[in-house]
Amino acid sequence: MSQDLEKSFVKQLKENQNIIHKICRLYTSGDDAHNDLFQEITIQLWKAYPKFRGDSKFTTWAYRVALNTAITLYRKSTRSISTMEFDNTKHFIKQEDYNYEEEEQIKLMYKAVYQLNDIEKALIFMYLEDKDYEEISETLGISEVNARVKMNRIKGKLKKILNP
Amino acid sequence: MKELDLLKKDWKKNENSFQQVSENDIYKMIHKNSSSVVRLIMIIGIIEFLFWIGISLFSNNDEYFQKLNMDNILLYMRILTYAHYAIIVTFIYLFYKNYIVISTTDSTKILMKNILKTRRTVNIYVWYNLGMIIFSLILGFMLAYFYNPDFALVKEKIEHDGIKAILFFIGIVIAIVGVFTVISWLFYKLLYGFLMKKLYKNYEELKKIDL
Repeated sequence: MSQDLEKSFVKQLKENQNIIHKICRLYTSGDDAHNDLFQEITIQLWKAYPKFRGDSKFTTWAYRVALNTAITLYRKSTRSISTMEFDNTKHFIKQEDYNYEEEEQIKLMYKAVYQLNDIEKALIFMYLEDKDYEEISETLGISEVNARVKMNRIKGKLKKILNP
Repeated sequence: MKELDLLKKDWKKNENSFQQVSENDIYKMIHKNSSSVVRLIMIIGIIEFLFWIGISLFSNNDEYFQKLNMDNILLYMRILTYAHYAIIVTFIYLFYKNYIVISTTDSTKILMKNILKTRRTVNIYVWYNLGMIIFSLILGFMLAYFYNPDFALVKEKIEHDGIKAILFFIGIVIAIVGVFTVISWLFYKLLYGFLMKKLYKNYEELKKIDL
């Protein structure tokens, strides 16, 4: 593989690494698992990179490959819901706008999201990333209608988890 | 859904709170495929081993030795064979260890060191196998010469013609051993040489990063 290809890949990945970090955050708990998945996604992206011809944005393409990796390749990972995740959310809440009730709700929400399955997580991820249904359907390879239906179901599921 | 919006707000707020990975780290990650090359070496080693075991199961050596009236030598041959198997298993274990180490190191320096180590192990493995092929061929000829009744004719000729026949016989043995050795050498060169080259390329890349 040519040096230039490698260079441009590394540069683009570095600039857009937060996409991967965010996916890792949703799919893993703990630093080790986070770094593992990050590496796995990086390797998959690099392998697929020669096929990426710039006909879509790097980010759109990266979303697709990264989510596919998280969903398919990372299945082997344990699904245990540990208290780690709960603690993880702590340092994400900044002190300055401390709002106890809101903080509690966010914590519960993260906990609920962790209980979703991998595909549901992918949809929630796209939602949190402000993607419209067209992009969701393109990225996940499902129809727009299906994406809408799924999203509604997930909302229902989350509500059920929050208020059993 | 109110909670989902809350989550989104929090999600956005923390968008840039991740510990950033450097370009160097990314280079390292995409060159992690050293570990897959080493895995391949291990797998090929195992397949090769199984292949030879299969061959020895199908070829009935015992009958041959019994025909030669060499039950006592049979025992030595067995010991030799098992010792050989033990050595091969040790090599496979070493390959496995290299694989584990390479797939779990983060430091470029250690990774480079281990790539060199793996190359060395494979080289020793190939030389051992070539040596073993030469040794067993020569041993086979010697046993045949001293014990195989079919070789009586050769013996007679040697007694009759003296040094000339001996040289002729030795010449034939050397030729046959030579041909087998070259074929095996080519086989190993092709199989492992290709993997070694890949490993070395990774090594060179890593060297660039590690300036």
